Amino acid sequence: QESTVSGYVTSMDDEPLIGATVSVKNTTTGTVTDVDGSYRIRAVPGDTLLYTYIGFLNEERVVGPGETRINVLLTGDIAELDEIVVVGYGTQRKSDLTGSVSVISTEDIEKYATNDVAQLLQGRAAGVNVNSDGEPGSIPRVRIRGVGTFGNAEPLYVIDGVPIGTTPRDFNPNDIASVQILKDASAGAIYGSRAANGVVIITTKKGSRNTPLQITYTAYYGLDQVWQDIPVLGREQYQLLNNESQLNGGETVAPGNDPNDPLYIDNIDTDWQAEGFKNGNRMNHNLRFAGGGENVTYNLSLDYFDNEGTLVGNGPDYTRYSVRANTEAEKGIFKVGQSLYYSHSNESPLTYEGLLLAGGRPSLIGDLVVAVPTMPVLDPNRRGGFGGTSSAVERAISLNVIGLNSLIDNRVEADRIFAVTYGELTLLERAGTSLKYKLNLSYDRTFTRDFSFQPGFDLGFFFQKDIPALTDGSRSFSTGLVENTLNFEKDFGNQQLSVLVGQMYQQGNFLFRNGYTEQLTEPYFPVLNNGTNQTASGFETRNVLLSYLARVNYSYDDRYLITGTIRRDGSSRFAPENRYGNFPSIAVGWKLHNEDFLNLPEAIAELKLRGSYGKLGNQEIGDYLYTTSINSNIVYNFNGERVIGGLQTQIVSEDIKWETKTTTNVGLDLALFEGKVTFSGEYYSSETSDILVGVPIAESNGATNTPVVNAGILRNNGLDFNLGYRDFSGPFNFEVSANMATLNNEVVALGGNNEPIFGIGSITEVGSEIGQHYGWDVVGVFQSQEEIDEHAFQDPGTAPGDLIFRDIGGVDENGERTNIPDGIIDANDRTYLGSAIPSLYYGFNFYATFKNFDFTTFASGATGYQINSRLYRDLLHTQGYINYHEDALNRWTPDNPSNVYPRLVAGDPNQNARDSNREGWLQDGTHLRINTVSLGYTLPQGIIEQLSKFRVYATIQNLYTFQSYKGFNPDFISRDLENNPSIFEPGFDFGSFPKPRVYLLGLEVTF
Amino acid sequence: NYWETPEQALAGANAIYNSMLVDGAYMRIFPSLSDGRGDGVKADSPWADLVQVSNFTIPTTSAPVQWVWRDSYLMIGRANQVLANVPDIEMDAALKDRILGQAHFLRGLAYFNLANNFKVVPLVTTPPAGTEDYNPETAPEDALWELIRNDFRAAADMLPVNYRDVSGPDAGDLGRATKGAATGFLAKAELYRQNWQAAADGFAQLVTGPLAVYSLMPDYRDNFLQVNENNAESLFEVQFASPSEVGGADMNWAGEPLATWKQVSAQAVTYGADEYGYSDFLPTQWLYDAYKSERTVDGGVDPRLLTTLASYEPEANSTTIYGNEWPYAEDKIYPRKYTRDGFPGIANEFDFNSGINYRLMRYADVLLMYAEALNELGRTEEAYGYIQQVRDRAKLPDLAEVHPNMTQGEMRERIAHERALELALEGTRINDIIRWGWLYDGDKLAELQAHDAEFTSWSPGNEYLPVPQRELDVNPNLSPNSAN
Repeated sequence: QESTVSGYVTSMDDEPLIGATVSVKNTTTGTVTDVDGSYRIRAVPGDTLLYTYIGFLNEERVVGPGETRINVLLTGDIAELDEIVVVGYGTQRKSDLTGSVSVISTEDIEKYATNDVAQLLQGRAAGVNVNSDGEPGSIPRVRIRGVGTFGNAEPLYVIDGVPIGTTPRDFNPNDIASVQILKDASAGAIYGSRAANGVVIITTKKGSRNTPLQITYTAYYGLDQVWQDIPVLGREQYQLLNNESQLNGGETVAPGNDPNDPLYIDNIDTDWQAEGFKNGNRMNHNLRFAGGGENVTYNLSLDYFDNEGTLVGNGPDYTRYSVRANTEAEKGIFKVGQSLYYSHSNESPLTYEGLLLAGGRPSLIGDLVVAVPTMPVLDPNRRGGFGGTSSAVERAISLNVIGLNSLIDNRVEADRIFAVTYGELTLLERAGTSLKYKLNLSYDRTFTRDFSFQPGFDLGFFFQKDIPALTDGSRSFSTGLVENTLNFEKDFGNQQLSVLVGQMYQQGNFLFRNGYTEQLTEPYFPVLNNGTNQTASGFETRNVLLSYLARVNYSYDDRYLITGTIRRDGSSRFAPENRYGNFPSIAVGWKLHNEDFLNLPEAIAELKLRGSYGKLGNQEIGDYLYTTSINSNIVYNFNGERVIGGLQTQIVSEDIKWETKTTTNVGLDLALFEGKVTFSGEYYSSETSDILVGVPIAESNGATNTPVVNAGILRNNGLDFNLGYRDFSGPFNFEVSANMATLNNEVVALGGNNEPIFGIGSITEVGSEIGQHYGWDVVGVFQSQEEIDEHAFQDPGTAPGDLIFRDIGGVDENGERTNIPDGIIDANDRTYLGSAIPSLYYGFNFYATFKNFDFTTFASGATGYQINSRLYRDLLHTQGYINYHEDALNRWTPDNPSNVYPRLVAGDPNQNARDSNREGWLQDGTHLRINTVSLGYTLPQGIIEQLSKFRVYATIQNLYTFQSYKGFNPDFISRDLENNPSIFEPGFDFGSFPKPRVYLLGLEVTF
Repeated sequence: NYWETPEQALAGANAIYNSMLVDGAYMRIFPSLSDGRGDGVKADSPWADLVQVSNFTIPTTSAPVQWVWRDSYLMIGRANQVLANVPDIEMDAALKDRILGQAHFLRGLAYFNLANNFKVVPLVTTPPAGTEDYNPETAPEDALWELIRNDFRAAADMLPVNYRDVSGPDAGDLGRATKGAATGFLAKAELYRQNWQAAADGFAQLVTGPLAVYSLMPDYRDNFLQVNENNAESLFEVQFASPSEVGGADMNWAGEPLATWKQVSAQAVTYGADEYGYSDFLPTQWLYDAYKSERTVDGGVDPRLLTTLASYEPEANSTTIYGNEWPYAEDKIYPRKYTRDGFPGIANEFDFNSGINYRLMRYADVLLMYAEALNELGRTEEAYGYIQQVRDRAKLPDLAEVHPNMTQGEMRERIAHERALELALEGTRINDIIRWGWLYDGDKLAELQAHDAEFTSWSPGNEYLPVPQRELDVNPNLSPNSAN
């Protein structure tokens, strides 16, 4: 008489234990618990069931007569050596991993207060680098193991099994059960086509079976404060320096700066940073209802997040409301489940002056810092009521950021619906063998309203809006997915085999619509019907991905592991003949600690070697880029009547194909002293070929675009380390861990004729790394005319006080560049000035508990790179009329013969401002950011009977950053002069929003 | 598939015109950089690039210079598409000729501008077929001018005298290139190359020959208004228009053209006086004095002064700016030409909506160029009459009476003076200075420096715009020029 016993294995804190082993003692019958901790095993009354899970104490249960359900609670052992990790399309025991997977624990996630999932990854795992700034709602940039491509290098996010293809910005971090990061080809191969930049797998929380309703309320409130201050000059010193610069350049001084002029300004001295930054705040409330019955689990969460930014005016702010409902039900061979998520967010993004004037302006924060102190914040005589400058008085093109940010109203309202539903059918299940079919359906749609109202205003000189204008538009991003998979598992006793095959179809759609109107009248009621010249525009694009996938996992005697994966993808982004790509990989693992012949010392709990090799793809380019198209919206007029022209405005490469990344990964996992000490080290090497990127072409081609081509080959290699120590044996428990990653990057080929690609003060050249700083080498400051005469010719206007540039090269008679100094300083004298990419990233974590107190601190940083700071360079300008950094006080003058800081001279004839390695132009980016310091107190159990948990905590985020960098964020997101994210100038800080220090108080209550 | 129907052919031609509407072309930067380098205009801008261009110390990384380069080639690239594809379209032969003629004209114009500003550039005459064509090499100067001549000549052959008398979808269109425009520019190119006879022959067609369909407008200012556009004096002009006429929401600075583009000129806000515009450029005192040195036959101020410049002239009953009392010092002068100062309902230029057409060639210029060619051919006496036609409109006394029997050299000087006054702020002065060789003539250079101190920082070769560094970095086959 044989019967089945089923049930759940959970930990003391009611989390399901995934992958716990359940076996019938003294037999070969065994199984592993599922993602929700459930198991089903054949056993007869009287059998003893053994429950084991590494890191937990074993439990045994005898099956009673007629007993078919046994739920077990496991008690934690010293260390959780063998957690279960979610890999693509399934789970694996960590000890069985052959590829490179980093796991970010839920506890770590809960320790950082942010709206953004990606933000949580910073410094948490070796080889995962997050750049971000302090703007609420802004999207961080995540790079896994460096920049493997010139093109889109964002990782693929997979939420509840669905590749979302966009950023996870709208997702609520409180819903996350776990985050895994797939870093190598073997782990990522199952997502082949889009895994080249790594994969971030996010699993959301589910309820637990046979658990009564549990209500958890968490909340925090925090104060955001800009703690950095860029030292700029006050009115008098500004006027002094500016007058000196104008006079040196043979110009007249501005009337507003001239003490002898009736228009001289001596009664205004605005400290723009003091006026422009305020305290922001952030707040979160989360209410979660979770539980489950015999066959059903549920998890419902409601969440509110609000972050008011630190800039005076309309934003940047971000607010989000979200709700999630995850349920799962099971009966017999059927299992169905769904996760449904809806969020509504309202962002007031940072205004960019592109609205007013195209190109050339710094970021809004840059404009705030460089504003002249002689401009007032308020001026009732100007339309709009804010101060400005005039070409006849200050002569300064200086933006009143407070005014602009108060006048212009920008809003992005986003509604996102993300629905996943799945059904699983167990086709076959008998001793050690199972075959399951799964259907996964999902639909993800984000719909935005993009609203921008610009009233009429006069902020002086360059910044006037004569005609009020309103744009009110919308964008819609949607993705539908159908996925069929078959999963076969067989247990041969000391061998395990699992096979996965599947097919997937995903369709994406982007729709853009915009309405415009102008000449709205006061009092303003900004709707499109209230203006004249009402204009509508829009477009729509689609893409499709069709994929087939297969994976085989085989293990022998818990000693030898092998994984083989292949995925075939077809993408509509390439021409039919280039559409399909195959992405195979293979990985092996060897658990040395299970080898009897090695006789490893007792102290070694785990020692595993693993290696992998495989190919991954990348197709993250725009739609239709392989096909030439006609722009038939080219306007002109004859007799004042509009006519429409049409022809090809862009150049395309029709034969673009998949970008392929080949990766080799070798890793070693070590655990000592029953897991108290853990170490993991990995070496990886990757080569990306046929890189898809828009390569700048000569403007003489007459195109408006940079065509996307398969350009070049890029190599990355590096080491990832994680080291941890934990001691949870007494009243004082603690855990320390550190991670570190090195990165080397080399451009092997650049496509075409291998012409270098120039960025902002940077060059990307074969044999070197991406975006090296590039420019002139400064050797000092001319102190006399004699020195100028003796030196290579620089400019007719060169004078004492100007920088001396090193004469490096020239051109020969064929026009080829030589390394022979030619007596002239020109473009041929540019040289490498340093690396723009960190060579080492690091993160440190310390966590301790003492009785009911808990303490955690977390820091991260990077070193080995230099930053080209637009803000700092702007502040050391020698021309125009903006404020100066206090370093400019050290400028060369006849009385202060500086050999470091050149003279200030309007017109800058010697081009002292050119890209070079002069003081401050390139700054060491080395930094260590104290991300979190937190102290918590948990009420002892039983003090309040209704509560199963009550914890309060106080946290300081971004407490301090050790940095020598004179801008705001050394971990900025690189952007080009048009404020677009860029690849070819990784070391160029366009001007990022300061990351505020946050003082938080929080609460967790569970009923 | 495109390039199969007559509608597509015509749409192709229209698209070339659009490239004249952008920043690096006639919308703002090209006229600004041309005027700024002349001795009648100096920069007064906190935008360093404009100052550097104006005083001949342009870094090779100058953004506005790059825009001029970019947008000239934008026009060339579009013309090349039309010239490559339209010949194979089955369509009405006359319409096809008109379309190809316009493409030749506009391409010739773009190369004419490039040759005058950069001296040597690559010659691209077909759309790039593949990456192997992406990096064209710098062409010899003669080849460049040969193409300019050939394009203008082809255009003159193919284009109609006007579009009133044609039948087809372009019937009645004002603003398309005509035979007269092509003939005028061909003759101008010959003049610039000092082929005096060819130049004189060309201008003669427009003045006394079969194309003598042009005449001077009675009022000088008619040439710079938003009304009276494409008038009898105009050979060719860029058609700007306010959104109230042709719609549009997005500024037509640059980039991928959109249906929502405006078709406005930003020259007005760039030149507009302090508080009414950016005042990026100011007239030089010399230009003002030059106007003041002339008196009309009835003893008044040269009427061109107050069309060209905004200044305080109680004697001419001019004491306002943009309808307001003169707010500046009485000796302050500002540009007025191509601004909307004095236009009804325009309080300042900050709406960025100027629709004033930019005139590329006026009949007055033709007359003066004809006179110059005649003088250079030794026919100095014949030059008087054509110059006087232009002076008559300005009510200036008869040149033959005030300056009779000038030598060829004196006449040369005279023509330079007449051109400076008639064509101030119309982008031609720097080209005249360069082609007359004044920068390399010590006396003349000293004169220029006296007119405009910005010439003191000129150094040989720097009268041209430098080939943009970005372009040199990208294209290894490209050569720098004397200004790099």
